Amino acid sequence: MIQILIQGLLLSGLYALIAVGFTLIFSVGRILNLAYGAYLMLGGYMYFWISQSMGMPKLFGVVIAVAFGVALGILKYQLIVKTLRGDHVAVEISTLILAVVLQAGVVLVFGDSSKILLPIIPGVVYIAGVPVTYNILAATLASWVILGGLYLFIKNTHTGRAMQAVSMDTKGAAISGIVPDHINMITWAISGGLGALGGVFFASYTQLAPSMWVAPLIISVAVVIVGGIGSIIGTLIVAHVVGFMEVSVVSLLSPELRGVFTMLLIILVLVMRPQGLFGREEL
Amino acid sequence: MGLRWYHFAAWGAFILGLMALPELVSKGALRTIIFANYLAIFAISWDLLSGRTGYISFGHPFLIGIGAYTSAILTKRFGVDVEMAIPIAVVVTMLGGLVVLLPALRIKGSYFALVTLAFMELMYQLVQVIRPDLTGGTRGMSGIQTLTRGAVNGFYLSSVLMVIVAIAAWLLMRTRLGTALTAVGLNESAVEGSGLSTTKLKMVAFLASAFVAGLGGAFYVHYLGSIAPRALFDINFVFTIIVAVLIGGASTIIGPIIGAFFLTFLLEYLRPWLPGAERYFIYGGIALLLYMYQPKGIYYMLQSGWARLKGSTS
Amino acid sequence: MKLVKGMGVGLLSALMATTALAEIKVGFIGSLSSDTGLSTLRGAEMAIEELNAQGGVMGEKITLVTADTGEDVTEGVKAYEYLAETEEVDFIISGSIDDVSLGWLPRMQEFQIPTLDTWTSYIGIIDMVIEDPDTMAPYFMNIASDEALATLYINFGADVLKAKMGWDSVVVLAEDTAFGGAITGLVTDALAPVAGIEVKDVITYDVNTVDFGPIFSKAQASGADFIYQVSSVNSQVMSSQYVKLQVPMAMTGVNVSALGMEYWEDTGGAGGGISTLSPVPSVGFELDPVSAKFVEDYQAKYTSRPSIPHFNGFNAYHGLKQAMAAAAEAGGFKDVKAWNAAMLKQDLKLEKDGKLWLRYGFWQHGEVEPVTGRTYPQNARFDLSAPYDDAQPSMVVIQWKEDGTVGVVYPFEYANTEFELPSWIKK
Repeated sequence: MIQILIQGLLLSGLYALIAVGFTLIFSVGRILNLAYGAYLMLGGYMYFWISQSMGMPKLFGVVIAVAFGVALGILKYQLIVKTLRGDHVAVEISTLILAVVLQAGVVLVFGDSSKILLPIIPGVVYIAGVPVTYNILAATLASWVILGGLYLFIKNTHTGRAMQAVSMDTKGAAISGIVPDHINMITWAISGGLGALGGVFFASYTQLAPSMWVAPLIISVAVVIVGGIGSIIGTLIVAHVVGFMEVSVVSLLSPELRGVFTMLLIILVLVMRPQGLFGREEL
Repeated sequence: MGLRWYHFAAWGAFILGLMALPELVSKGALRTIIFANYLAIFAISWDLLSGRTGYISFGHPFLIGIGAYTSAILTKRFGVDVEMAIPIAVVVTMLGGLVVLLPALRIKGSYFALVTLAFMELMYQLVQVIRPDLTGGTRGMSGIQTLTRGAVNGFYLSSVLMVIVAIAAWLLMRTRLGTALTAVGLNESAVEGSGLSTTKLKMVAFLASAFVAGLGGAFYVHYLGSIAPRALFDINFVFTIIVAVLIGGASTIIGPIIGAFFLTFLLEYLRPWLPGAERYFIYGGIALLLYMYQPKGIYYMLQSGWARLKGSTS
Repeated sequence: MKLVKGMGVGLLSALMATTALAEIKVGFIGSLSSDTGLSTLRGAEMAIEELNAQGGVMGEKITLVTADTGEDVTEGVKAYEYLAETEEVDFIISGSIDDVSLGWLPRMQEFQIPTLDTWTSYIGIIDMVIEDPDTMAPYFMNIASDEALATLYINFGADVLKAKMGWDSVVVLAEDTAFGGAITGLVTDALAPVAGIEVKDVITYDVNTVDFGPIFSKAQASGADFIYQVSSVNSQVMSSQYVKLQVPMAMTGVNVSALGMEYWEDTGGAGGGISTLSPVPSVGFELDPVSAKFVEDYQAKYTSRPSIPHFNGFNAYHGLKQAMAAAAEAGGFKDVKAWNAAMLKQDLKLEKDGKLWLRYGFWQHGEVEPVTGRTYPQNARFDLSAPYDDAQPSMVVIQWKEDGTVGVVYPFEYANTEFELPSWIKK
């Protein structure tokens, strides 16, 4: 059981890291960024190109990947979200098309074979008899740090509180002097950077492939739906629920049912308590 | 319903044109048209629900897949006659979709989209895990009974199907029911306030959409002769259907047809110029630019262009 | 009279001119962005070039057109229709993967275009050939079917895993797909009686599994001596996590991603110690002079990956030449029955150091294979018993070493290295 605890904790950390960028956009901008998985994909490929193909130091690769994610987020916001101002459906569809285009682009540049990333931190350590790679340990620690930092940022800084305001009531926020446009742009930028970072860790754990943007998207969707919008803590908690559930299903039931239970959980929550476990009342 | 003579004329011309096509175009083009026809059927099905009422479904392949798999399993594994299998498949699609998605209609907006996406993913997993001896598992099945042989016959069957679906949907939307559904899409609370049951309305839209999806899915699988989960329960398929509707023009009947034909021909005709992966990239790029330029679709562009022409001459 | 004669001569020469311009069109169907597809395409291209340099086939030049499938099943159907109806090809060479081939198979049965499949190895298709030889006459599969691959693997279990390593129990880690199920069934049914290895547990996993930690823990808990891996989809995820986690259990089996030379580059080196079965000729396989020359010419001509063609490239190269030879004998591709009969007779034997090394030939209808006791009509010939003097073995087992080199470990007649445990496993 110690094994399930440890493995569950680690997987949940990875999932939390992946989902938090998605939560941000959905909570603040109320938009389903279906190309969110593409941040992960591109972040991962950027890191691969810089650190593995060109042989530069790993940290440098991570920084470039994150910067690229931030740039992509801002670009998306300026080019797509603002152009289609306010039409949520149009933005969601556009992000879906964009994701498909980006996938095709990646196939063009990198080919469609899967690539394995070298671990950010190589090596294995045994915790209570359970083998744990330093890589996933780093991912989990990073996710706690980032989520904690994000929470403090939202609660305590001016920009963070502005983001909360926009998330609750855009018009009201505008009246009180906040420029929603700037806030949204910052949110998209942060979301992009977080996505890219998540992608680097996700890819270093599994693999890099042009179709890899779908699975993390589904995970993020699961976490957001079950956790509810507008809650960073909710994201963290639910990521653990999903992570532990997966590990338990795999270890105790049957590994082939892994995906089925996650989907059922989403559906159950959506039907019984649509605002999520920790979300606010309104949708 | 307010049918005018020019409605009959327009549909008549359209049908005549379609029937004459095999004389005018190559076999290769006919094959592309067949795929376009089926995509048009799926697009109309999606539009009936999501285009009208505004409940965007990201898991439409879920319904199409139920229809396709039911008919395939019945004919291949149980030797059921295809004339029986297809109607059964349609009924199963409607039932399955109802049981599973109806509770979801209580939810609005983006959450509904996510549930439907989750259901599609669930089907993808289930089909591989539950009774792979029946469903063919991950690899799928081949050697499923085909209803027609050759490009021309396939063309006629798919075209007739598409025209019937299109006309039926068009007539449905011209009834008071159709108007009510469009109203739901515009302002659901107002419709509630006027005393109509939006739940009943949504259910009708949903059943109609499921009916067409199941019908289309069953005929589709009997055209292809094969079925694979990767081909059906795929986010790319969702993408193709939705983009076809939106580029063509949502909330109309002719819009999804235009969009389906445009997308299918675009992808296929890029083939000689861009043989490999570039094709999908350019195709996606064109779709994105077109959609962003005019989210209302080609049909709207044509309508406003026509209106401007009429206006400028008066 | 003179006018009529003149017109007659004019007509005749016009006719002859058009037949001189007639050509044989070959269509390639497969993914243009994958190593697999490119291997087949390039093998075919090289064969066509050589044949054209020698004057073509039946006095006609051969041209090649491509139809990309993007490894998508629906696109595969469209691609086949494109080749058949728009390009009107005479012959199709396929580098498609299993489910894509299954997708366009009904079209092949309809159009009756001679088709050679170089990668797909699904035994179900050969069953279709047995059941319905008339509509399946145009279809040839020149890679040993997956069931033959798995059968010889049992011998590897007996000769190396049991006899040399002393293991007598195994836990199977199989992906949850039709491929996984089929191979697992074969392994569990045959491993115990033939190799004397007990199957302690069969763990099936979802192909989208992110974290194999719990699964490896389960495997260790079974108490077996080694892990048998069965994965074709995302196989690198499992094997790389195996290496990164340094799982203290030996692992071997089927790992489709390890079949090409780019495996080392793609895994960033996290691929050492992995062994898998591979169709022939595999990476690390010693080549006979003819095949070696093929690789030499290939590397002179192509500078992008794959650096060495995968086994299906060799299949395409030899197979296309055989298909053309069969056409010459049958007077073309139009008479499918005649072409089928001529193709069945095609037999290319390649020798190395005076011994039969590779054989590109096909099983005949009704010809029973002694070990499995079944027929494999229109499937590539293989030999399942030492000393493999009838044909090459259906597969070899290769192992990647931790320094990036790769070699064949089984059968012993083809081996050039020893099977070893990864360095982190203390035995």
